[in-house]
Amino acid sequence: MTKRLAMVLGLVALAVALVAASAQAGHKTHKVTEVTVAGWSSGGDEDNLLQQVINVFNKTHPSVHATLQIINTNYGDAMTARFAAHNPPDVFYVDSYVAGAWEKQKVLQPLNGYIKKSHYNTKKFYPKLLGAFMHGKTIYGFPKDWSPLATETNNGLFAKAGIRKAPKTWAQLKSDAKTLQQHGVAHPICLSPDWARMLAFIYQNGGSIKNVQSKASAQAVNFYVGLLKSGLAATSSQLGDGWCGQALGDGHSAIIFEGNWLLPYMKSTYPNVKYGVSPMVKGKVRGNLAFTVSYSMSTFTKNKQAAWTLLSWLEGKKGERLWMSKGLALSPRSDVKTIGGRAPFLASAPYSHGWGFGNPNFNAAYTVMSNDITAVIKGDKTVQQMLADVAAALKGQ
Amino acid sequence: MMATSATGAAPARLGFRSTMVGARLREAGWGYGFALVPIAVFGLFFIYPFIYAVYISFFHWGILGKQAGGHGTFNYSKVLHDPIFHTALKTIAEYTVVVVPLELALGLSLALLINQQIRGRNFFRSAFYFPSIASSVAITTIALYIFAANGLFNQIIGGNKAWFADADTVLWSIVGLNAWTTSGTVMLFYLAALQTIPNDVYEAAAVDGTGAWRTFWRITFPLLKPAHFFCLVVFGIGALKLFDQAFIASNGTGGPNYATTTPIFYIYNEAFHNYDFGVAAAAGVIYFVIIFFLTVVQRLTVGRQEAA
Amino acid sequence: MTLQTVAAAEPFVPPKARKEVARRAVFYALMLVIAAIFFVPFLWTIMTSFKTIPDAVNVTSLPHPWTTSAWHTVWTQDHFPTYIKNSLFLAAVIVVCNIFLAGLGGYAFARLRFPGRDLLFLLVLGTLMVPDQLRLIPIFVMMVNWGLYGHFESYILINLVTATNLFFMRQYFLTIPKDFEEAAKLDGAGYFKTFWRVMLPLALPAMSALIILQFQGTWNDFFWPLILFGQGDTSHYTIQLGLAEYLFQYSSYVPQVMVGSILAIVPVLIIFLAFQRYFVSGVVSSGVKG
Repeated sequence: MTKRLAMVLGLVALAVALVAASAQAGHKTHKVTEVTVAGWSSGGDEDNLLQQVINVFNKTHPSVHATLQIINTNYGDAMTARFAAHNPPDVFYVDSYVAGAWEKQKVLQPLNGYIKKSHYNTKKFYPKLLGAFMHGKTIYGFPKDWSPLATETNNGLFAKAGIRKAPKTWAQLKSDAKTLQQHGVAHPICLSPDWARMLAFIYQNGGSIKNVQSKASAQAVNFYVGLLKSGLAATSSQLGDGWCGQALGDGHSAIIFEGNWLLPYMKSTYPNVKYGVSPMVKGKVRGNLAFTVSYSMSTFTKNKQAAWTLLSWLEGKKGERLWMSKGLALSPRSDVKTIGGRAPFLASAPYSHGWGFGNPNFNAAYTVMSNDITAVIKGDKTVQQMLADVAAALKGQ
Repeated sequence: MMATSATGAAPARLGFRSTMVGARLREAGWGYGFALVPIAVFGLFFIYPFIYAVYISFFHWGILGKQAGGHGTFNYSKVLHDPIFHTALKTIAEYTVVVVPLELALGLSLALLINQQIRGRNFFRSAFYFPSIASSVAITTIALYIFAANGLFNQIIGGNKAWFADADTVLWSIVGLNAWTTSGTVMLFYLAALQTIPNDVYEAAAVDGTGAWRTFWRITFPLLKPAHFFCLVVFGIGALKLFDQAFIASNGTGGPNYATTTPIFYIYNEAFHNYDFGVAAAAGVIYFVIIFFLTVVQRLTVGRQEAA
Repeated sequence: MTLQTVAAAEPFVPPKARKEVARRAVFYALMLVIAAIFFVPFLWTIMTSFKTIPDAVNVTSLPHPWTTSAWHTVWTQDHFPTYIKNSLFLAAVIVVCNIFLAGLGGYAFARLRFPGRDLLFLLVLGTLMVPDQLRLIPIFVMMVNWGLYGHFESYILINLVTATNLFFMRQYFLTIPKDFEEAAKLDGAGYFKTFWRVMLPLALPAMSALIILQFQGTWNDFFWPLILFGQGDTSHYTIQLGLAEYLFQYSSYVPQVMVGSILAIVPVLIIFLAFQRYFVSGVVSSGVKG
């Protein structure tokens, strides 16, 4: 036994030595200013494009070297940890629904000084999107892209049911779903138990996040939840899918409401499924949500000037043009065009309401929203209770 | 070279080193020396953080550190009045009360099976212990797929339930999962305890003509009392600290509908999602007190049992 | 009389014995069924890892076609070799540190007398009651202040020695007869020599169990690696972190996730199979003392 144990310990020591040696070999040294940039990615295509953009920056800016870090596991939690560690990346994504909270916690660097000094033109950004990252007159980041929701339909299932066009109104949505049901689709609509989808319907009925307890808001919620309860709609997990995009691809559902991110996903995962993209359905009025993400700088950056160089380039015409080239999202600048085929999304710009724009309590409130809507769908909570909870949470209670 | 030297002559000549006091001091010195690094580690990474956490719990504490507002018990008040914390406590109580007896019953059953004179004992013992060695991440990952709405489990028993995605069933699915993976370890403890029961006891029962079932209930089970108490509290405390599986199964959200929000998750979430480190620390202290109380109960009960 | 009874018993199988055989058969069948049920999830995982992504939907059928593409992808494209390397590194370092420090400390608490020893030992035991999540933020802040956040050193430092291991070694040292130390003293050995040359080798069974249990503990650890270096820099990820991230991001790539799970389990399994005896005795004796 001693011999065997000694052998094991010897192997262990050898492993340690080998690993330590290889770890040493991996170190590099740079003489230029190092800047780290971080974000998340939805898949290989996006990973590659991001890296491409960074590579172009590095080539054209010999004095600044940017390293990309893709953080996919709980980006929000990860960034919080790094803020608390005073060690976040220099430049990073900020989702609009946490922007308010991060601004309040003073982890985002105000950019007005840098904008002035470098005469940066901020007028080309769509004001509504830029506003998501402003507090009063202080700018904390620039939107790097955006997307609203749209109605996506499975062509095959629609053809089978004899429906020619995608539903345009709530009424059509219901009747189309019923027809689809008669033609073999058990739950034609895939709905997420998520305020990030349901809120669009609230706006479509004349409600709003600022007045979440109004009759209009409650009506919309009842409509949304009613679809689920009646069986015309089902959640993605009920359909056995990871999300509604998957349900559309594998034919479990025929109508879904997702943003531009669906397109690259369908291209890579379900390249042979034919589907249609139409503008978001209409209720009493038109209403949609605008999801956007910014590039921002942290207050802890040691190389603020270099970070600004990177940030301003990424957000500038050149950087954005590159980023828009694959159509992963819509352009936030009026002087950079979005790739073709995105008309249904672009059309909603005038009536898209920002997701979480400006409310520092939105992040925490979103947890309440998510948990409560599941309860309401189950029947454990009433709609009124949920709306009361959400209203309180949005106020910070 | 001291075997025969008497106590008389030696001390004067050999001096300090060989005196009783000198020897004791030397031993103490070495004792402290040996224990130094471990004590330093525990002091630095357990005692000090604990004190620091208590300190944080009395302030408003954000991502960047202490915030304005002075000190007070407001964090404790917030936690104790938070319905989500109450839900978390209720959730963990339900979980613990079900999973622990289940684990013990399973483990004991397996131990009883293995304790017989059988062939391939090692094989079966390995097979039954095998689930326990897999990491929580790996086993939860595998479980998420097997118990998905269209996964293997539903294919076998029929139905379409998303066991880990449905608010009603997710906690019980975690109960089942953890009971299964812990039963192997429980089995080992009971095996050791069973092996301390002398064969005479069973022989006497056999001679008396007692059936197998009665032998178990009237004789074996009571004799296992020390093991019962030990397992009950050790695995009870383990259950109270549930985090990994809840975190992974809910994709880090603690949902759906707070179904996977355990007190430990609550602490994590308050810090990393709501940026309120003060509240997180307060919740941690409160929960520590609860666990401490239960651990004291263990020491007293087990101590008393072992003395008896 | 006896001869007659024996001769009469031989060819005739008494009903009781037949019942016994039947009972045994049922018993073994039951055991095999339970073992099979315990193995099924892992067998299914292995089977699924050899499927293509579309085929993975057919959960009850064998791979059709059989393919090692998932294994290939995970191994070459998805950083898993790095994760395994990192996990091995951490496990090795922490195991070695624990053996040495828990051995030293355990011996001191078992055999050396120093003032406050028993109180200190109670304090050591007390640390077992501090939940990880409570010391989470203070340790986090400490590591940041020392510039160790995001580096392996932070994780190694807090795991240099655990109370469980120290307790375990102490219990074991208590069971070793004092004769050995006295013999060593007679030979003129100092305290460290006694420990290193005499006591530690005698504690080999406990050390073996400690190696295995600590290896398993470090290899399987999720929480602390997540906190200390699991926030973005995948070059530092351990296999459990890598698997969790993979699950969060690529949950629809079922075969690859299965490969990841297998890779996360296999090393501990290997160690377990090789050292079963110590493994079991280690778990039991570390716990029985309470």
